[in-house]
Amino acid sequence: MSVDKDTRRGLFANPAVEARMRKRRGAERRFRAYGRAAVAFSIAALAWLLISIVSTGASAFTQHWVTLDLNLAPKDTDTIPNDRRRLADALAQAFDVPSNEETRRELLQIISASAATADIRQRHDEAMAIKITVPTSDLADQFLKGHIDPALPQGQRPITDRQISWIAILDAEGRINRRFNRGLFGNPDSRDPERAGLASAIFGSAMIILIAGALALPVGIGAAIYLDSFAPQTGWGGRLTRFLEVNINNLAAVPSIVFGLLGLAVFINFFGLQRSIPLVGGLVLALRMFPTIVIASRAALRVVPDSLTDSALSLGASPMQAVFNHRVPLAAPGMLTGSIIGMAQALGETAPLLMIGMVAFVTSVPSSPMDPATALPVQIFLWSGSAEAAWAERTSAAITVLLAILMIINGAAIIWRERLQRRRKL
Amino acid sequence: MIALASTVLLSACAADRPDPVRIVGSSTIFPFAAKTAETYSERTGVAVVVEQTGSGGGHKLFCSGNPSIDATTSSRPQKPSETALCEANGVTPIAEIRLGFDGIVLARAIDAAPMDIDQLTLYSALARDLPTSGTDCTPIPNPYQRWSEIDPSLPADVIKVYGPPPTSGTRDAFVETAMETGARRFPCLADMERDTPNIFRARVHNLREDSYWVDAGENDNALIRTLANTPTAIGVFGFSFLDQNTDKVSGIAIGGVRPSQTSIRNRTYPVVRDLFLYFRGGSDPNVLGYAAEFTSDEASGAGGYLEEIGLIPLPDEERAAMRQRVESAAMPGGSAR
Amino acid sequence: MNDPVPIYMLVIVGALMMGAYRVVYGRAARLVMPDVSGPVSTRAQPRHHARLAAALTGLIGVGVYLAGLSLRGPTPSASLDGLWLLACVAIPMLPMALSIRNVRPDFAARTHIERMAETGLMLLALVALLTTVGIVASLVFEATLFFQDVSILEFLFGTHWSPQTAIRAGESGQSGAFGAVPVFAGTFLITLIAMAVAGPIGLMVAIYLSEYASPRTRGIAKPVIEVLAGIPTVVYGFFALISVGPAIRDAAAWMGADVATQSSLAAGLVMGVMIIPLVSSLSDDVIRAVPQSLRDGSTALGATKSETLIRVVFRSALPGIIGAFLLAISRAIGETMIVVMAAGRAANLSANPFDAVTTVTVQIVALLTGDQVFDSPRTLAAFALGLVLFVITLLLNIGALAVVNRYRTRFE
Repeated sequence: MSVDKDTRRGLFANPAVEARMRKRRGAERRFRAYGRAAVAFSIAALAWLLISIVSTGASAFTQHWVTLDLNLAPKDTDTIPNDRRRLADALAQAFDVPSNEETRRELLQIISASAATADIRQRHDEAMAIKITVPTSDLADQFLKGHIDPALPQGQRPITDRQISWIAILDAEGRINRRFNRGLFGNPDSRDPERAGLASAIFGSAMIILIAGALALPVGIGAAIYLDSFAPQTGWGGRLTRFLEVNINNLAAVPSIVFGLLGLAVFINFFGLQRSIPLVGGLVLALRMFPTIVIASRAALRVVPDSLTDSALSLGASPMQAVFNHRVPLAAPGMLTGSIIGMAQALGETAPLLMIGMVAFVTSVPSSPMDPATALPVQIFLWSGSAEAAWAERTSAAITVLLAILMIINGAAIIWRERLQRRRKL
Repeated sequence: MIALASTVLLSACAADRPDPVRIVGSSTIFPFAAKTAETYSERTGVAVVVEQTGSGGGHKLFCSGNPSIDATTSSRPQKPSETALCEANGVTPIAEIRLGFDGIVLARAIDAAPMDIDQLTLYSALARDLPTSGTDCTPIPNPYQRWSEIDPSLPADVIKVYGPPPTSGTRDAFVETAMETGARRFPCLADMERDTPNIFRARVHNLREDSYWVDAGENDNALIRTLANTPTAIGVFGFSFLDQNTDKVSGIAIGGVRPSQTSIRNRTYPVVRDLFLYFRGGSDPNVLGYAAEFTSDEASGAGGYLEEIGLIPLPDEERAAMRQRVESAAMPGGSAR
Repeated sequence: MNDPVPIYMLVIVGALMMGAYRVVYGRAARLVMPDVSGPVSTRAQPRHHARLAAALTGLIGVGVYLAGLSLRGPTPSASLDGLWLLACVAIPMLPMALSIRNVRPDFAARTHIERMAETGLMLLALVALLTTVGIVASLVFEATLFFQDVSILEFLFGTHWSPQTAIRAGESGQSGAFGAVPVFAGTFLITLIAMAVAGPIGLMVAIYLSEYASPRTRGIAKPVIEVLAGIPTVVYGFFALISVGPAIRDAAAWMGADVATQSSLAAGLVMGVMIIPLVSSLSDDVIRAVPQSLRDGSTALGATKSETLIRVVFRSALPGIIGAFLLAISRAIGETMIVVMAAGRAANLSANPFDAVTTVTVQIVALLTGDQVFDSPRTLAAFALGLVLFVITLLLNIGALAVVNRYRTRFE
């Protein structure tokens, strides 16, 4: 029986009904708009974060360098040699200004004085004309990048008029060029922003993650396999199994700072290991990663149908053979992906490393897990505390590097999983 | 197989990586110690690790006998209790080296109104409890909320001072120089100092805890921003930090004298303190090399790289004397105090 | 201090293991050679015999190594080390010989080795238990030391927090009050702000992406939002410090208010953004689990989509959503870096979100990244705070699990 449109409309032509329907449809539209707004807000927040950090950090990937021709006075053999003074005097001569305390101070502030002094120290002791190429100081670098406003009155900006004029002279002579900041990746940490680099932090993080992974992966995957296939499900054993599962779920949600406290109390105080070495960091993060890996591996194992294991058993395989030759290989892609994502999370952990003392200033790149070092997120935290503009720029650049590494790791894990899954066609 | 094993054993004994030089101590001296460490490390290839623990913590760690701690920096002299601890744990002889001067300054945002505070006002604004009157020392909790309540010539801003936490040597130096001097202006407290100096110190060193004084952490960035955003707030920190941020904050005059390199060097600015380095006499040459670098012309002399980041250098003769001390500490049993 | 521990002994043990494997494998393989008519049935393959031999040799060898390590005094002597080396070589030979003898057709080597492997896996799983025990033990131990100096009641209910006591005579310090209520209040305030942001937004994102969005939109938006979960918290902290904090300050100044840079609002907002993906993905699972029949029934009765969602789906998924919220709250409470960098350290009892407040995690960092003294109430206070943090997150997690489990049985 069909009802034609007019009849239908007549049935519901009541104006009160019409009004209600309009309100309800309005509510529907508003609800959908809220949903869209929520999604838009989340994506916009992410965009704001990424844009503000990457844009601040982009300028740190280039650095201004200056080439100077200097006439050095001979090294003074009577008193203790002061190469920094020789540098300052040579600069004063180059700019044709008298060499007094104030001008020396201002001159040394426009180039990276420590780099130049190190350069000069290696040269001969007699009077000679040399050509050196060093980074400009962070002050000059920020000015040349346009981050300092020369229109401000002199008292309100960190750079003086005289220094601006000197930089202009160098620029006019073509001595300043802008290069890719290789030092950001190759140098260890430094008190001078123009020489500070992430080498120590990246090595430290790499060692920590390797140690943590080497410990947590076998233990986590083994534990997952046990809980999935071998743990008793009934009786006292069953109770223990369920207790273990609850335990692991809780550990995964324990704040990471508590793991830091554990590391401090047990590894450093009780076992007497040294502070701020990657070995202890690796141990603490291994404990942190362990529950995540177990949960991810169990999820991967659960997907494999029981029928496969059952058929293997019915053909005479032992439980161990059925699991390791049939279940685990099929779950392996998921397990490894979950583990890699767990390791990527550990790369970003800061709080536990603060607790075990990796906040020291370390002058050289570590060469073994027992050398003092720092980690990339800790380095970011330390740099973020300094007030100069050059540090803000470099902190943002360090964050960009960290995010890029994380993106590569996560992306590689996902691509690998896709490829392995395609091959194994579950 | 046993022969093979024994040769491996002998070779394992031979390989020995040099230990890094570990410095702990004051967070005020940290920038200087770290810069020196960097220059020294670049020159000699020795790895150096510098950790900020506060002066008090540095002494505690150094005197605990932990063999991996080689030296400690301190923004105040070592206290007798700490020296006793060192001796008890076998950390002797100790060499004390003066590195330079630092002033403790009060600073406001650069666009704030200039102020001139004297030490009595400072004490009245920041002490936890004040004497009831000039002659009656019964403590009453500090009632002042605005600077103008203490001294009508000062602005009517709410008292808000961000300063160093108790582990910091800066705090110790601040209470000893600024607070004690201000407290002495109360006759009854001056009497108390004469009669019972320990009780006087215990009383006078306590700062307010009711949020008019706030213990600021180590995040300089945040402190500068806080001061810039709250022009009525005041920060207390070392002169070196002020010197590095003259475009954002400016120092407040104390007793009519504004802090500057000159006024600190000739001690007309009243809140000045010495900076120290302590290490073991007869320790390994890398540590001595570090101490020598610290006292060299290039580092802590006039025009040196430490002066550039705010250290106020010792007069040349004194620095030469310190260098002598470092050299004489090289001999085992060569103490230098 | 540089006293070389003879690690090479472990290398020797490893070599012995490999040798045992090869020898026993060869012997077991020869067992199957038909020198009689008809097949010889064995209870295990050669590789099982070999693995068992290697495992027994290795276990005994490592055991001897560890025993020697613990018996070794502070000054190693060459003669004792030589004895130790001898033991490391000679004693593992015994299980090797035993295994060689056990290469017989009726010896079920496979069963033995597999049982050993199963025990090994169980021990790996017990690491979780060990970790939890370790955390509880270390926290409780240090906290008990703390509660010998400061009463529990004062700690839990006192309202004055100035923990920086003098460490030794002559050092000036704060008064040493350990009433943690302002610290808890700060944590509560920031968590509240974070959940006020993440709760509604995360829920709406989940609902929109699962009910309204086209598969293409969902395919793009979901991974993008998941990226928020993968960003390290130190990055969020820095972002709060340089972008969000000043933006809030500018907005407040424009409205005429005077606001600090380090405010709980900045920290709370950024933390909320960080938690959105957690709430969203958990709620998504829960909403999808609601049976389609309920939705169909509601639509059949004439409800619009939003009415179905609000009155039917949301109501039935409510326990699961509450569980998701509890987990998100637990995450917010335990978060450290964002608050350390963005929220400051002033222990105020202030309900004003524009003031700087401190949280439990910030105080733990402040107390421990400075003076390292393990016998003063100050550093032990950090462990007491850590214990409270652990207990609260534990209770929240167990609560969430209980709620979700009860919810799951509703539809079965």
